[in-house]
Amino acid sequence: MPPPMPGQKLELPGVKYIIAVASGKGGVGKSTVAANLALALHMHGQRVGLMDADIYGPSVPMMFGLGLVDQTKTPFPIEKFGLSLMSMGFLVDPNQAIIWRGPKVAQAVGSFLGQINWGELDFLIIDLPPGTGDAQLTLSQAAPLTGALIVTQPAEVSLIDARKGVRMFEEVRVPILGIIENMSYLVATDGSKHTPFGSGGGKKLASEIGVPFLGEIPIDQMVSTCGDSGEPIVRKHPEHAVSKAYTELAATMLREVPKLTAAGLPAVDLG
Amino acid sequence: MTTGTAQPLKPLSLKKDGDGLRIEWNDGATTFAPFRALRKSCPCASCTEDVGKPIDPFRVLSAQEAAAGAPVPVGMKPVGFYAYQITWNDGHDTGIYPIELLRSLGENVSPR
Repeated sequence: MPPPMPGQKLELPGVKYIIAVASGKGGVGKSTVAANLALALHMHGQRVGLMDADIYGPSVPMMFGLGLVDQTKTPFPIEKFGLSLMSMGFLVDPNQAIIWRGPKVAQAVGSFLGQINWGELDFLIIDLPPGTGDAQLTLSQAAPLTGALIVTQPAEVSLIDARKGVRMFEEVRVPILGIIENMSYLVATDGSKHTPFGSGGGKKLASEIGVPFLGEIPIDQMVSTCGDSGEPIVRKHPEHAVSKAYTELAATMLREVPKLTAAGLPAVDLG
Repeated sequence: MTTGTAQPLKPLSLKKDGDGLRIEWNDGATTFAPFRALRKSCPCASCTEDVGKPIDPFRVLSAQEAAAGAPVPVGMKPVGFYAYQITWNDGHDTGIYPIELLRSLGENVSPR
């Protein structure tokens, strides 16, 4: 099958909901949120795929204890912890930089979506790279996205960029499912709650743009330790407070996503 | 779980009508956009760059362009939730027309 052309609409008939996890700013924990949310949805009995659209800096392989694979022998997507996974990190040595111009990124993202047999899925979670560049635009134009989740930190500097992400989705009319505030607070050993990045940023953004605020996810060293060791916290420590936050988030999505009725545009009768 | 703004502008049906496109909208309006106006307002990078430039009298038309005659779309497909991509009879197909542009290029007409 040839790679999809720019602007070509991709069909994923076996996938019920395609959700993009986005942020304007890098470093807010978007990949961590995408991976843990995907696992939390799977723990709710859903069939879930996770597509890492961060071509330049893929993180799915490390978070799932995977690495470079022999692409001539490995069928994609790769199955791990019950999820179907695809990432640029399976194809390119992590020590090698991917130095590509935009059209090639767009083509790779299009291929991940259109040339891989995702099979029957309830959710395909797409972990977007930060910013509003080629990968985001390709997906918004070519993929039948159900909606987008915006991840932000509570700090104002993170909100500036998150707003840009929101505007991009509004521009291409992809519904915003809601705002997730990551790294909201940390609980010290004495039980006291601290907010190193300030508080209320996510709620402020949600009310500003009129979308639901989906929840706060606390900071905990365990999150990055689990991610780095190849088993996200939701799976390794399902009883942890952070995991429970993700389980609740997944439950909210299961309740709310089916209500979305963003029907596509009608076909044109050129007679 | 949608953006809190009012119902966004959306076409309900798009149909070729003579030498233009008749569109019925979700706000009750019906518009008619002549193909000539649509072709002239192609928002693609090369067409927008050409706007304002003097016409090159020595430009040789391609065989497809010369044979095309009046502009007529031969294909028009949705792009995501926000635009349509038109393929014209002269072979040009890089223009992606956002919904708002399609609306602004049409004149209000009475519905049929």
